[in-house]
Amino acid sequence: MSRSVMMFQDYMGTGLIMAWFLLSLVYLFLRENKKQTRILFIYVPVVILLLFFNPVFAQKLSEYLGDEIYYRILWLVPVTPVLAYTIVHICVSLKGKFRMFFVLGAVCVIGLSGSYIYADRFFGKAENLYHIPESVVEICNAIESPGREIQAVFPLNMVQYVRQYSSSVRMPYGREMLMNADWNGWRDAEELCEAMEADVIDASELGQLARMTYCTYIILPQNKKIVGNLSSENYVKYAEIQGYCIYKDTLSNH
Amino acid sequence: MGDMAMVTQLGKLILLMLVLPILTGGFFCTRKNEMTRGNDRLIYMWVSGQFVLWTAFWIICVYGIFQEWFFLDVAYTFEMVSVTLAIMGGICDLCGQVRDKRKGLHLFQFSKEKKSHWIFWILFAGILLFQLIQAVRMTYADGDDAYYVAVSTIAVNSDTMYHKLPYTGGTTSVDIRHGLAPFPIWIAYLSAISGIRAVSVAHVAAPLMLIPMTYMIFYLLGKKLFAGKEQRIPLFLIFTELLVLFGDYSFYTVENFMIARNRQGKAALGSIVIPMLFMLMSVLMSKLEERKKCGLAFWGLLTCVMASGCLCSVMGAVLCCMLVGVAGVCAAVAYRRWLVLIPLVLCCVPCGICAALYMFKA
Repeated sequence: MSRSVMMFQDYMGTGLIMAWFLLSLVYLFLRENKKQTRILFIYVPVVILLLFFNPVFAQKLSEYLGDEIYYRILWLVPVTPVLAYTIVHICVSLKGKFRMFFVLGAVCVIGLSGSYIYADRFFGKAENLYHIPESVVEICNAIESPGREIQAVFPLNMVQYVRQYSSSVRMPYGREMLMNADWNGWRDAEELCEAMEADVIDASELGQLARMTYCTYIILPQNKKIVGNLSSENYVKYAEIQGYCIYKDTLSNH
Repeated sequence: MGDMAMVTQLGKLILLMLVLPILTGGFFCTRKNEMTRGNDRLIYMWVSGQFVLWTAFWIICVYGIFQEWFFLDVAYTFEMVSVTLAIMGGICDLCGQVRDKRKGLHLFQFSKEKKSHWIFWILFAGILLFQLIQAVRMTYADGDDAYYVAVSTIAVNSDTMYHKLPYTGGTTSVDIRHGLAPFPIWIAYLSAISGIRAVSVAHVAAPLMLIPMTYMIFYLLGKKLFAGKEQRIPLFLIFTELLVLFGDYSFYTVENFMIARNRQGKAALGSIVIPMLFMLMSVLMSKLEERKKCGLAFWGLLTCVMASGCLCSVMGAVLCCMLVGVAGVCAAVAYRRWLVLIPLVLCCVPCGICAALYMFKA
């Protein structure tokens, strides 16, 4: 199966909305009289789809843009406006109570065929007006040093938020660890990441790795099991915030 | 923070996101442009003005990035340019009003609407309000924010553009792919001028502007699609909203980007720039049908929309050209008007420059 077909399958999810869209194209082809609407809502999407599935075109464009974002050509296919337009077109051709039934039916079909966006598993209630976890905000506020940059190591579940909030907090590794990609050569910190994410933390190993990567602060969940004592590596408990312990390097002059 | 300071910050943000674009949109209030007559006027001015400002920002910022300017140099230069454009646009509009004896800013004119259509408009407004409340109340955990929002935060706090690694904070050289599409720097600009943290501008303020802008573009598109049958527009918009709300059928849909990741340039490309191109292509085709000329303002706006596509994403250069190319060739064939392809090709020049810079500098 070609890469384009696989991308299209991934893009259309269950395929129901795309099926309604293709039916809409057929309907408009048969019923739409306005030339400009036919061009924009029938011919243009068809040509775009033909180009998308064309292997030569796909190969050339993927070389330029990269394989992983080739699917965005499908953004040029006006699924939402075509469907909305078709529904209105059918609706006005009906009379009396059939019109109301059709509208209600269309609403139900959209609801059943699509997927409610706010039910997406990545959506959650915002904890503040920064839209990042409050724990990250409070920890950054606690460790920030005015006019200076400091290095801190965070648990993986926090790394994507830290530098959105504060650019004065540097990290030995960031989101690239989650992506498992060798971004900018920061794989050196992989051992530190493994030490941080271990089920049971080896305090001696973590302290040494943190010092090797110039970390002034180590942030760990309060409930994390630790074997040994971080203070023996000169990292002492600095604060407890929102379920996290902050350890500070006493040898650091920050 | 005091209430007064917060009000001032919000006031500045409204000025940057609403007032300046509307005034700049005055450039397009020409006699030939029927979109700026009646109830479309303010909407058309806001949307078109924003595209002009984005274009100016793209030019200044990309130049600044290549010349290794400080971020604040870009922000203040753009501020001066945008205020100048707004004043000039405002004067253009005022002159047009005096010349055509138009009266003030025509907002929505619903007087001719039937009662049932009012209900549809209220329903549309209600669903839009719901989306805006959700944009403030809910958050979407997207890993890409670790790059884009961090770039904005770094620009504001460190006064540099693309010289620091967003994920970790180390130093780096400009990544050409992101440097050519500096949408996060525009977010940083809003933050720097308003005084609101970049992370809040990205996650809260930007959606409050960009989501309504998408629907306003769909409104303008609806006006073209339902010319002479305007009472159908609110129903069209309601179904558009429903399809957006239930458009999360995969992680890749433009609807997902529009609602969940709207602070990222690629989302603005999919949900604002591309629908605007459809709207403008619709205007072009109606002009071709009526055998009328489009006018300089139209071609200028189309060029600005294409350039805005480049601001959003390097991919925008390709997508915008592809859409305009396909729609343009289809229109040229259908209306037997081959000469229309010449100005269309000229409008693609910003995208061509962007693509050339990407290929030669990468």
